[in-house]
Parts: sequence; structure tokens; C-alpha cells
Amino acid sequence: MLEKKDKVLLFGYGKYGEQIAKELLYNNYEVYIAEYNKRNLKRAKIDGFEHIMVVDIENDDELTNLLLDNGFRKIFCAFDNEEENIYLTITFKAIFKKIDIIAICESKETERKLKLAGADKVIDTMEAAANRIFFILEKQAVTEAIDHILFKDPSLAFKEIKIPPNSFLDGVNIKDAKLKSRFDIIVIGIVDKELGNKFTFITKGVSHKLDAGDILVVIGKKESIDRFEKELYNSSQNYTNQG
Amino acid sequence: MKLSTFLVNLAFHLEGSQKYKKIKLFFKNLLENDDYKYKKYFDYFMIFLILSSVAIIIEEVKTPINKWLYYYDIYFVTGIFLVEYLLRMWVYNDSRKIIIEEFENSIFLEKEFDTKKVLKEIIKKKIEYVTSPLAIIDLLAILPSYRELRILRVFVLFRVFKLLRYSQNITHFLQVLASKKLELFTLLLLVTFVVLISGISIYVFEEQQNPNISTLFDAFYWSLVTISTVGYGDITPQTKEGRAITLIIILTGIGLISFATSIIVSAFNEKMDEVKENRIIQNINKLNNFYIICGYTHMAELLANRLKREKKFFIILDIKKEKIEKALSKGYLAITADATKKEAFKRIDFKRVKAVVTLTEKDMHNIFICLNVRSFSKDVFLISRTIDKNSYKKLKLAGADYLISPYETAGIFGAKIIEQPIAIEAINDILTAKKNALCDQVEVLKGSFLENRRVGEIDLGKYKLILLGVIRVKEEDFSINLKKEFFFNPRADFKLKANDILIIMGYNISINNFKTLVTESSIKNARKKR
Repeated sequence: MLEKKDKVLLFGYGKYGEQIAKELLYNNYEVYIAEYNKRNLKRAKIDGFEHIMVVDIENDDELTNLLLDNGFRKIFCAFDNEEENIYLTITFKAIFKKIDIIAICESKETERKLKLAGADKVIDTMEAAANRIFFILEKQAVTEAIDHILFKDPSLAFKEIKIPPNSFLDGVNIKDAKLKSRFDIIVIGIVDKELGNKFTFITKGVSHKLDAGDILVVIGKKESIDRFEKELYNSSQNYTNQG
Repeated sequence: MKLSTFLVNLAFHLEGSQKYKKIKLFFKNLLENDDYKYKKYFDYFMIFLILSSVAIIIEEVKTPINKWLYYYDIYFVTGIFLVEYLLRMWVYNDSRKIIIEEFENSIFLEKEFDTKKVLKEIIKKKIEYVTSPLAIIDLLAILPSYRELRILRVFVLFRVFKLLRYSQNITHFLQVLASKKLELFTLLLLVTFVVLISGISIYVFEEQQNPNISTLFDAFYWSLVTISTVGYGDITPQTKEGRAITLIIILTGIGLISFATSIIVSAFNEKMDEVKENRIIQNINKLNNFYIICGYTHMAELLANRLKREKKFFIILDIKKEKIEKALSKGYLAITADATKKEAFKRIDFKRVKAVVTLTEKDMHNIFICLNVRSFSKDVFLISRTIDKNSYKKLKLAGADYLISPYETAGIFGAKIIEQPIAIEAINDILTAKKNALCDQVEVLKGSFLENRRVGEIDLGKYKLILLGVIRVKEEDFSINLKKEFFFNPRADFKLKANDILIIMGYNISINNFKTLVTESSIKNARKKR
């Protein structure tokens, strides 16, 4: 049996909320649904969700209590109405500092507003869908490959791995690491502290010197990634022990 | 042999002859079908003939012309005009069908075959052609070649009119005016009426006093010149009564002129959209491999932006005019049409359509559009947006090949983004083609340096690319849906076969460079074999 992952608070059980809730559940998250629309609440109940809460999104106290009682760290704003998502985001960001907010939007305009309001991640659903159509039309093989990696094959995974200090990658140039042959994983990108906290694709040709704290984005079989991670931590641990 | 049996035999013979029909269709296309490829060249040729012959006739007014030019004008140009005239008369309708119909009727009703009626019918049809305005112009344009009658020279004008036939813009202009036939006719009546009244009255008042008005014609001439606000001033009223009439007809004239202007302007306002849409459809039908987007929703707009960025061709259909105007203002090809109706696709050549995407915000509309598209083309690739889960099956039944739902995409991305925010962002960057990083597919072409190589032997790192995986079509499966297998991160000893597809990641330039290399090596190899 898989262990339950983090608790996630999901606002809204409309068309977006429903899909996100189901997907989160499928990925073993503990989903809490908050909604004010009675019809949507009813649907959530029928769909079998355990934690359903009725909230008034304009009541700040209620929202604060809801958060403090359950200790949520991650909040999903997924009302079908974009304005409500913006409003929620700004409310939470005003009350709590350390909280991750992911919000749904349908246009560039709202995305900008959500980012201004402080949302950590914004999903522009229309853009995503439009791009997907483009790929289906023009590059079907790529669509298939990405689908395969992301959704179809559960043994494959994307993972972000932070390089621990003094591990065998610390101070090594990425080109010399030979992760592909050693661990059978593909590194697609890196968040290099030295180059600012930005994601760069590995193929840019810049040779990266890896340091502790850099984040590698890898794709691979889950067991390969696990093996890689374990070895990475072990090497870090060993160093500390020796020192 | 009796005339009737001869006619019937001839008609059936022609009806059965593929060659005859083919030739007739060719000429019909050449003369009348704007979408026909070669009509353009025929039109250019005719325009050249007209201009040259007009030039010759004008030159002839003052100086005697070269003998050869004279022959060219008389025999060649006129000959071609004559042939064209007869061909147009020929393709105007199918007389054989009249005969056959009458023959079948006579057998069915057990009556005698009525030769007279048939001939009458045929002649009636042909006369219908001869009396149509354009045909009259054609006929008159042939006349100026007959030099013995000097008055016929005037008809050189009709050669210029004949240009109308070969220029679409002018034809459209005439069509626009024709749509206001009734109004223009009223206007003409009104003008005639006023000219008559004022002309007669000025004649009555001034015939004695004014030396410039000696006939009724002078009076009408003055009247029209004044009404039209041109007012040359060569004839001016001399008496008080005459001036009073002038005052009145000047006022009427202003009214009439503005009436005329408004008729023409409104005709253009009404017809301009139609003319523009004709243009757009003609343009799009010239393209190969274009997409049709039905419904200009927000998602459609984003898709359109993307397609434009990648320099792909597409046309947008929407039922609402405002939406279409929005699309047009962005420079996209767009027409107002109800995609659930047959008319919308009637003029589109589906052989050239790469895919149809229906993106309206109602499942019901999408379903109707899918059905409608399928009624035109069984195998065009069809992607549809869905809103409600219950519609998946219906849309599939309606013929959609692929369904897309922003809600579902949001769900999948939403779940992943919590776990792997950077990875999702990376994928998003790849999908939106921001930062120039791309994921692309490269086919292993026959004879290219990729064929029969092991993955380990191709150093993709050298090309600054990452190999994500290989897609292979299973050969043994010949069903319509080709089974594709995805090999993620293949091992070094994985052997590539022709028609495999490599999924690679990298920057724009590296990918294009690599693709060119693969294509070049394939072509080189093919040449060597020869």
C-alpha cells in the first residue's frame, strides 16, 4: 500500500476542480475540498471524497481557521471563475507568508494578475490545451512520447534532485558526470545557483559546474532515479562521516 | 432518316461519349470557373488581345497602319473573339439533355417525340444566352473589325467593356451594383422624370428669349447638366421663370446625387463582406495543407497564434461576426459561417485540408460540426474540444479522432505541478516553445546515416541534443490504428530501423541542423544507389 502524500487544500469543485481532485487522489494526495456552491458540494460527495468543507471565501476568519486547524501547506485555487481564484490568492498571501499557492487561469491577463497577487504557480489551461492541439497536429510522435513519460508509464518519472553538499556531484562538471551510462537516467535541465535561480536546458552547450544546492531535473525509470538519489546521498553522508 | 431520330441518336451518342463531356467540361472550366487553374492564363491572354486591338484601332484613327497589324486585328483577334463567343454559347447549357428529357417523357407518356418543342426549347435557351448583357457586349466587341462601316468603330468601346469579363474585381463591382437594381432603377426613373419636367418647362419659357435653347434636346441637355450639379454654364436661363425653375432643380439635384451616393455606399457595405470572404476562400483553396479552426474562442486564438508563429496556414470559421472581425484584425484568414451547416464547407477542398479543429464552447456544437465535417470527408484528421465527460463517446461517434479538454489537461498538470514544479515548468517551456528549447521528432529516413545504427554509435551529445526515446511502428499490425511503441531512453545497443521516430530535445538550431544532416545523408545515399 502506498503511503499518503501531503495534504492539499483544493478550492472549487467545478469543472476544473473535479478533474484536479481526481487526479490528485490518483496520485495519492490527501485531498480536502472547499467549496461554497451547493451543487458542486453534492457532486463531490457523490464522487466519494471524504474531506469536504463548506466555506465562504469572503470570510477571512473562516479561511484562517480552516488553514490553521488542518495545517495545510499547499493550496490549489481551482474555481471555474478566474476572479475568485485571484481573490483567494490575494487573501491567503495577505494572511500567510509561507504557503504554496497554485492557481488556475484561462488567460494571460489573469495569469499576470495571479502572479502579482503572489501565486507560486499558475496554470494557464487554455494555453496548455492550445499547445497540446498544436503538438497533436504537427508533432504527434512528440505528444505520444511526452504522454508516455508523464502519464501512461507509471514506472517512468520526472524528478527534481537537489545536489547535497560534498556528494560525488558537488564540484563536478556536468559533462563528466556521465549520468546516462552510470545510472540510465536523462538529465534535461538544471537550476544553477551560479547562473541565477533559473532553469536552463542542458543542451544549451554551456558546461555547468555542479555545486551543492543546484537542482537537476532528470527523467528515468523510478528505480534508476532512486538508485541515483541513494548513491548521491550516501556519498554526501560518507564525506560527512569521514570528516 | 427523320430529323427526330437523328436528334435523339445524336443526343444519346454525345451523352455516352466521355471524350465529348471531357472537352466540354474543359471549356466550361476555362471560360467560367474562377477556381480553375488555367483560367487565369486564358484571362491574361484575352486581356492582351483586347488591349492590343484597342491600341491598333486608336492608332488607325490618324495614321494608316501596317498591313500585318491590320490582318492581326481583323482575322486573329476577331477570330478568337468569335470562337470564344461560340464556345460560350456552347457551354451555356446542355442541349442534349433537353432532347433526352423530351425523349424519355415521350416514351413514358407514350406520346410522339415533339421535335418542334425540343428545337424551340433549345433555341430559347441559346437566345437566353445571346440576350444576356455580357454576351451582348461580346457580340458588339466583334463588330469593330468590320471597317467599311465607320460607325462601328464606336463599338471599340465594347472591347474595353469586354475586359470586365476577365477581371474579377470589376465583376465583383458590377455584382455589388446589381444587388441594388431596384434602387438604381427608381433613381433612374426619378432623374428621367425631373429632367423631362424641367426640360420641357425651360423650353416652354425660354425657347423665344434664349438664343442657346433652340430645340427640346438643348433643354434636356441643360436640365441634366444642372441636376447633376455639373453646371457647365454654356446654357444659362435668361428669364425670371427660367431662373425659378433652376432654383428648384438645383435643390432636387442635390437630393438626387446624395440618394445615388447612399445607394452605392450601402450596396458596398452590404456586399463587401461577401466579396472579401470569396477572396479568402479563393486564397485558402490555393494553399496545400491548411488547418480549419471552427469557433474563434480563446483557445482557438491561442492555437492560431501558435500556428502563425510556426508559419502554418489555417482558416477560422465562426458564426459570430464580431469574433471574425477580431480574427481578421489580427491578420488571420477568417470567414463568418455556421460550421454546423453544410454551406460552410461547400467551397472548401478537403483534399488540401490537413486537419479540422473544433473549439466551440458547447459540446453540442462540436458534435454537430464533427458530423458535418465527416459528411464531407471521411478521413480528414479531426480534433475536437470537449467540455462534459458525457460527451466523449458522442464525439467519438461523431467522428472525432482526438479529444482535448482543458479541464483534463488542468487536472493532470495540476497533480504533477505539486510534486514536480520545475519539471512541469520545463515541459511547459518545451511545449510552448519558449526559450528556444524544443522537443521534436526526427524520422529515421531510409538510407540516412541513422538507419541500422546503434543508438550508442550516434553521439547525439555532439549535436547538442538529448535522445528521449524512440517510437517504433509495429510492423505486424496492419490495422488502421498503427500500433506505436515507445522505447524510453534506449540502451546503447538499440538498433535503429527505417521509419523509427527519434524524440529529441534541444535548441532550435541544433534540431534543425540535425534534421538537415539526416535528410541530406538520405538523399546522398539514394543518389549513390542509382
